[in-house]
Amino acid sequence: MKNIILEANNIRKKYDKEHVLNIDNVKIYESSFNFLIGPNGSGKTTLLNILSLVDTDFKGEILYKSQPVTRENFDILNLRRKFSVIWQNPYLFKGTVASNIALPLKLRNIKEEEIETRVKSTARQLDIENLLNKKSDELSGGEMQKTSIARSLITDPEILFVDEPNISLDYQSTRYFNKLFLELIEEGITILLITHDLYQINNFAEYITILNDGKVEKSGSDIDLDF
Amino acid sequence: MEYIIEALKGAFNLIVTLDPEVKTVVGTSLHLSLTSTFIAAVIGTPIGILITKVDFRGKHFLNTILNTLLSLPTVVLGLLVFSFISRRGILGEWGMLFTMRGIIIGQVLLILPIIIALVRNAIHDVDEKMYRTAISLGATGTQQFRLLLSEARYGIIGALVTGFGRVIGEVGVSMMLGGNIKGYTRTITTAIAMETNKGRFSFGMALGIILLTISFIINYIIYYFQSGEIR
Repeated sequence: MKNIILEANNIRKKYDKEHVLNIDNVKIYESSFNFLIGPNGSGKTTLLNILSLVDTDFKGEILYKSQPVTRENFDILNLRRKFSVIWQNPYLFKGTVASNIALPLKLRNIKEEEIETRVKSTARQLDIENLLNKKSDELSGGEMQKTSIARSLITDPEILFVDEPNISLDYQSTRYFNKLFLELIEEGITILLITHDLYQINNFAEYITILNDGKVEKSGSDIDLDF
Repeated sequence: MEYIIEALKGAFNLIVTLDPEVKTVVGTSLHLSLTSTFIAAVIGTPIGILITKVDFRGKHFLNTILNTLLSLPTVVLGLLVFSFISRRGILGEWGMLFTMRGIIIGQVLLILPIIIALVRNAIHDVDEKMYRTAISLGATGTQQFRLLLSEARYGIIGALVTGFGRVIGEVGVSMMLGGNIKGYTRTITTAIAMETNKGRFSFGMALGIILLTISFIINYIIYYFQSGEIR
């Protein structure tokens, strides 16, 4: 069993006075391929937003490496900057692909020369060098998703949250990204993937959490759950 | 027809020779319009953002008032401000009637609703996904605000240019609050109205051509800002 990098306890989240999440415990294992699965509307994306610290409007406790995530224990902004999120429907800012990929580094006040080098190497890694000068509103759905993946990876995140990226990707790209995610895990990155893709679940899942109606139905390793 | 052609020739002659009177009138108009737009932008842009992003009681009512004020006739506004700054008005002792300051107050009030409403629309049009993306990329609160302004920049600049277009072409406020004083508060529009009445048709025509050119440039800029790109 690998170390737990992130844990959520007693998470309660309401929308319009109705509980949409009622979670007792969720664990994310370090340097592993963690899967979050469940039917539409089961609260997967809501939970991802909370775990990635994008949404802080909830009741409950998040632990990072066994330490409660509070303002006393952590600089929340710096902790959030260790995480990256790849969204199902990515939002690209006005400007070029290059400026979008560079944005997280600019927000961290990294020097221009270093940004340029890292943008080029990340674009090369994802095979989108030819898109760098293209405007973000001229991209196809797949190109947008690849750009958003590059933007998420450029910061070398410790945990990568991925919300059903396959929707805008073709078969070739999906295969490519499955391989990339496995390589990232080998490098030590933790991934939490939301997916409905049975192929991904059957072949790559190490730890699985199944959500249903805002609650954890089952969780454990792929062996425990017989996937 | 000959009369119009002669007037046009005279107008172009006044423009090409940089007639001092034409220069003064155009300079006054540009000075007043730029100042009014700047002040209205400084006040209106934050209000437009706040109205969009903050929920409060009476927001719907305020938006309805704003939309109504968009089509406020300039003479009605001129009359309203006149009642405040004329000698018998409550601000009468400040001596602002028939001064540049008087015109600026009127023009700022004229375009404030326009700028607030158009900035509100520009901010409202920014995709909700922008906020969560900015947070997830590690933006601080200030950086999130800057990103929001950057994403809405075409709409915001379009709002300011529209405001400028409205004041440079208005006549009611300038006439009622400025008094059309030669070399001081005489603007392009008030000069056109007066000089044409006096029979100086070429002079009015020259100012009309300049105003049309400014209007064309403004509309050209607005068109490209609204389409989201400057080529």
